[in-house]
Amino acid sequence: MAVGIELEPAGRQRAERLGRLWQARPGLLGWLTTVDHKRIGLLYFFTTLVFFAAGGVEALLIRTQLAQPNEKVVSPGTYDQLFTVHGVTMIFLFIIPMTIGAFGNYLVPLMIGARDMAFPRLNALSFWLFVGSGIFIYTGLFIGAGPDAGWFNYVPLADRTFSPGMAIDFYALGLIFNGIASTASALNFIVTIFKGRAPGMSLNRMPLFCFAMLAVSGALIFALPALTTDCVFLELDRKLGFHFFDTALGGSSLLWQHLFWLFGHPEVYIIVLPAFGIATSIIPTFAKRKMVAFPLVALAELLVAFIGFGVWAHHMFSTGLATTTLIFFAAASMMVVIPSTIQVFAWCFTVMMGRPQFKAPLLFIGGFIAFFVLGGLSGIMFAAIPFDQQVTDTYFVVAHFHFIIFGAAVFPVLGGMYYWFPKVTGRLYHERAAQVSFWLTFAGTALTFFPMHIVGLLGMTRRVYTYSSGLGFGIYNLLETVGSFVLAAGLLLILGNLVWSLRRGPQAGPDPFGGATLEWAIPSPPPEYNFAVIPTVTSAYPNWDLDDRHEDVRKLNRGEWVLDSGHETPASSVRDGVLAEILDMPSESPWPVTLAVCVAVVFTMLLTSHFYVAGLAGLAAAFALIAWHSQEPEEV
Amino acid sequence: MLLAVLALAGCGSNRVNSLQPHSHAARQIDSLWWWMLGGSAVGFGVIAVLLLLGWTRRHREQLPFGGGDRAATALVVGLGIAVPLVVLTLLFVWADVFVVKSTAAPKPGSTRLEVDVVGEQWWWDVRYPASGVVTANEIHIPVGVPVRLVVTTRDVIHSFWVPELNRKIDTIPGRRNAIELLADRPGRYLGQCAEFCGLQHAHMQFLVYADPPAVFRAWLAGQARKAAKPTANLARAGERVFLREPCAACHTIAGTSADARVGPDLTHLASRSSLAANTIPNTHDSLADWIGDPNHAKPGAKMPRLDLKPADLRALVAYLETLR
Amino acid sequence: MSAVAHRAARPNGWWGMAIFVATEATLFGTLVGSYFFLRFSTPHWPPFGIRPPEIAVPLILTGVLVATSVLLQKALGSAREGRRSAAWLLILVAVVVQAGYFAMQIRLFENDLARFSPTGSAYGSIYFTLLGAHHAHVVLGILLEGWLLWRLAGGLNRYRLVALQSIVLYWHAVNVLALVVVGTQLSANA
Ligand code: HEA
Ligand code: HEA
Ligand code: HEC
Ligand code: CUA
Ligand SMILES: [Cu+2]
Repeated sequence: MAVGIELEPAGRQRAERLGRLWQARPGLLGWLTTVDHKRIGLLYFFTTLVFFAAGGVEALLIRTQLAQPNEKVVSPGTYDQLFTVHGVTMIFLFIIPMTIGAFGNYLVPLMIGARDMAFPRLNALSFWLFVGSGIFIYTGLFIGAGPDAGWFNYVPLADRTFSPGMAIDFYALGLIFNGIASTASALNFIVTIFKGRAPGMSLNRMPLFCFAMLAVSGALIFALPALTTDCVFLELDRKLGFHFFDTALGGSSLLWQHLFWLFGHPEVYIIVLPAFGIATSIIPTFAKRKMVAFPLVALAELLVAFIGFGVWAHHMFSTGLATTTLIFFAAASMMVVIPSTIQVFAWCFTVMMGRPQFKAPLLFIGGFIAFFVLGGLSGIMFAAIPFDQQVTDTYFVVAHFHFIIFGAAVFPVLGGMYYWFPKVTGRLYHERAAQVSFWLTFAGTALTFFPMHIVGLLGMTRRVYTYSSGLGFGIYNLLETVGSFVLAAGLLLILGNLVWSLRRGPQAGPDPFGGATLEWAIPSPPPEYNFAVIPTVTSAYPNWDLDDRHEDVRKLNRGEWVLDSGHETPASSVRDGVLAEILDMPSESPWPVTLAVCVAVVFTMLLTSHFYVAGLAGLAAAFALIAWHSQEPEEV
Repeated sequence: MLLAVLALAGCGSNRVNSLQPHSHAARQIDSLWWWMLGGSAVGFGVIAVLLLLGWTRRHREQLPFGGGDRAATALVVGLGIAVPLVVLTLLFVWADVFVVKSTAAPKPGSTRLEVDVVGEQWWWDVRYPASGVVTANEIHIPVGVPVRLVVTTRDVIHSFWVPELNRKIDTIPGRRNAIELLADRPGRYLGQCAEFCGLQHAHMQFLVYADPPAVFRAWLAGQARKAAKPTANLARAGERVFLREPCAACHTIAGTSADARVGPDLTHLASRSSLAANTIPNTHDSLADWIGDPNHAKPGAKMPRLDLKPADLRALVAYLETLR
Repeated sequence: MSAVAHRAARPNGWWGMAIFVATEATLFGTLVGSYFFLRFSTPHWPPFGIRPPEIAVPLILTGVLVATSVLLQKALGSAREGRRSAAWLLILVAVVVQAGYFAMQIRLFENDLARFSPTGSAYGSIYFTLLGAHHAHVVLGILLEGWLLWRLAGGLNRYRLVALQSIVLYWHAVNVLALVVVGTQLSANA
């Protein structure tokens, strides 16, 4: 609550009544059946953290194996599983669910002044499906059949001729499974952002974080089908003997690559866009000023998602496609750079023109900008076709995408963890330790991934389980390995800081940093109902509009816009954010998790080729859906 | 860190290094790289200066050089749209219109020599169609003469790459991709399969020898001959072992009844300097080790371990060593 | 707060379905794209020994299917005016027609299978996969309508109206995709 206005007893009573109305079911059952976006966000957070740790351990094993020439820490077969599962984990089970599932879920409704997502039960379903797909993929690894053909899984290597056994089925079915979860949550975000905004929040007043989430969700909706189709083709080839990828019978192995990268390139912007959103949330808060060139940045976020669909063949420059085709995609790859340069300069000038306080979150954003520019510059180099054909499939590429993924997508996530920690827990993190952790991760990242450029140019190809000693790769690889352990130490320090602060940190209050967006207008941790009064918004920085926030308190005293006759939330019009109706929201439901279990059974049965049992499980899923929909909302 | 990159230029000699170009195409790519590195250094420098200005000169509502929001927006448009557009257009025209031409594959029939290379898990089958020569894992070319190299695959996708000579090219099922192979200095160049192709992708290397024309012609003539009959007793016994054991079911030795195409052609095995796609040197011991157990040096290799009697093994090695 | 009883904007449910339709349409886009990619990388399409699909029957059937869009739109209009039984009957007619379409399609599918197989060539693979994906969507649509009929039998409320609105949107999309699919298949004749 904004300070300065007294909350009267009547207002307090109303808030308490809301608290009772929205109270969460206690215990494990409460977590299994919850539909609260904040709880689901936390579930996502902890689950993805576990997957991050798993992917990180795989990375450290990779680095240990490569520390010196001719090492024998793991066998070649294990190594292949390690880097494949590392890539799949980090991309599908860590970064996307972390940014979209955890950060997006927790923050989007708060930032737009809503009480929940548009479809709360669907939200829960997305989470449980995601968990299911993660367990599914890791089951493969644990029974020794982890996917081992690389994260882009080229055919014919992934066909059943060259990869008999279940490893590739875990990959293909797991990604279809995962894709359903992501599609459901992308759909949910779009509708939430379109329809759930507080009165007065027209599109041009929407926080840039939400623009980023909108762009990401749109990209997911249009990118994932390509991956799904690809994996379905692969499974039909593998399980039923179809011939999509079989050159001998009219198929084409390049079809796999086109479909994969038609998904895969938009995917990399899906990875980085939420990070942009986090950056544009943190920068104004700590620079104490509004974003420079706000409309340009919003436009750039949408554009990058859009142009990203036209560049996929730049991952196929050395497949021998016609040069004219290559040139088209090279030109598009250069165009896709422009929205990024716009944003980089907008961030820099915002920081320069403000009174920046370099607390840990802003430090991480500084690191993010540095790595993003470095990684982006090597990205531009790939758009020079002959150069790409020289360095593709070497460690130079590995360097590019780790700089840009770890530096530019994970750094903002780390900064964001510190930034929103007080909001989520009500306590402040330890600032000095946080700054140390920044410098550790910064140095670790640079040391791990910078030498990869050099060793790539020297000719070290990627996905090799070892290299011989006469080539001069050794010293660089050793540095990288050392760096990766420094990085791991930095990450553990972050984890330690947050765990320690959870119990020992000082109370944070609702708004410790002077944030601009609506999540800072409510107590920390936020109450179940989020907003006691549905806020009215008059600018893009609603929490800096003190009058408006004072008015919220008065409204609570007067009992306006409290919506306390049930689980209620407003819905508004898409463009202008004009109130359209009041909706009754569902509360705890057992059906999402039940449905997810049914779907998991379907995929397991498909994996083991028990197609009839899979059909039966599908039938069970249909009944779960009917039960789900038999609970109709009240008419309000 | 930039120093480390600069140090690259002067790296040692007997190594793979894409920054030590030995052909027209590779040199073009090389200068492309150095220019891009220079441009990137400037670009990153600008950003670094901006960030540092933000860091050190706090407490302003203005740009360090004056001007408010409008000036900043203008700068975003200028530096974020206009400058990149110019820079990228220049790069595009240079790299993607001109340099691509010099790395393009020569047209069929436009070169005096054509070589076919077939990628297999995990070795390279090398053929000289005009002279009928077949060898493996080692390609000889005359120095200074452009060669049209056609790459295909018999199983999965591989990628043919000699960093010091040219860009790489994938072997795609059903396609005949081509590339120019040209070395303007005699020497031995290391190549490597660059596309992940399974367990032993790491050990799918090859060597390119750029020989003076006369040496090349002599080599080609030597390779075109059939294997000479062994004369020593042990070697003669070895030949019998070879033809009796399953070896002949996979390998060819021209001049004998062994004519299978599953594994590398062994007709002139002893003239090669390495074994199993440059995994081990071609010495007496490592040859014996390889035949004794291929999985020892190259776990997963597609040649079975045959558990030969020690005497047979010795004979076999002696025979193979006669295949010059 | 009940001053906002009427709808000023499309409901969330409709938007949800619209986005679902968008992603499904993209899915079909990738299938159709794959069809033509394979076609243009193969010299003989369809391969020797396989006749290109018949033209008349699939076109007539698709025409019939597309006509159900009109019925459903009318049902939506009636429901909006509160005429529940009219809506119910219109949906029922639509379901019957669609089920008939589906039955005919299954016959055709079996005939095709007797002529050539999805495991015989890439043409067969994409042909049957495209058809199968379309059929799956028809089945899903029929199931959704079945559920809707059951709910509507118990009365009309705003929730069910939104459901109807969304399912009608779904069917419009399926019908457009039916045209795309049949057009793609018949292009083998050209
Ligand atoms: C977060 C993920 C992410 C992001 C944001 C990017 C961003 C970019 N990527 Fe990257 N990329 C990957 C993740 C990402 N990439 C991954 C995972 C792979 C490998 C996949 C695999 O093979 O496994 C890959 C591979 C990859 C390739 C294929 C390489 C190969 O395999 O041969 C190419 C080729 O064009 C490319 C290009 C680009 C470009 C042009 C950008 C641009 O968007 C970058 C734009 C940003 C900037 C340019 C920074 C701003 C710079 C300034 C402000 C300075 C001033 C600039 C100028 C004057 C121009 N990327
Ligand atoms: C989001 C994407 C992402 C991220 C974050 C990372 C992070 C890292 N990656 Fe990864 N990587 C990929 C995506 C990613 N990678 C992809 C797509 C590939 C290509 C795969 C392929 O070729 O198919 C790849 C490949 C790849 C290779 C090349 C392998 C090869 O080609 O042979 C290497 C080699 O060094 C590597 C190293 C690392 C390292 C050291 C990290 C480090 O940054 C990791 C640091 C993290 C930790 C050390 C974990 C610490 C965890 C915590 C602190 C949380 C603790 C929580 C609990 C205990 C609950 N990666
Ligand atoms: C089932 C097939 C098969 C059989 C049987 C077989 N080989 Fe091989 N051989 C291969 C393959 C495949 C390779 C390439 C392995 C690689 O480099 O990964 C190979 C490689 C070799 C090489 C190295 C060639 C080079 O140029 O690097 C030698 C020598 C060799 N085999 C000898 C033998 C002998 C001797 C026997 C019998 C005792 C034998 N092989 C039996 C398949 C076979
Ligand atoms: Cu062949 Cu990698
Ligand atoms: Cu890309």
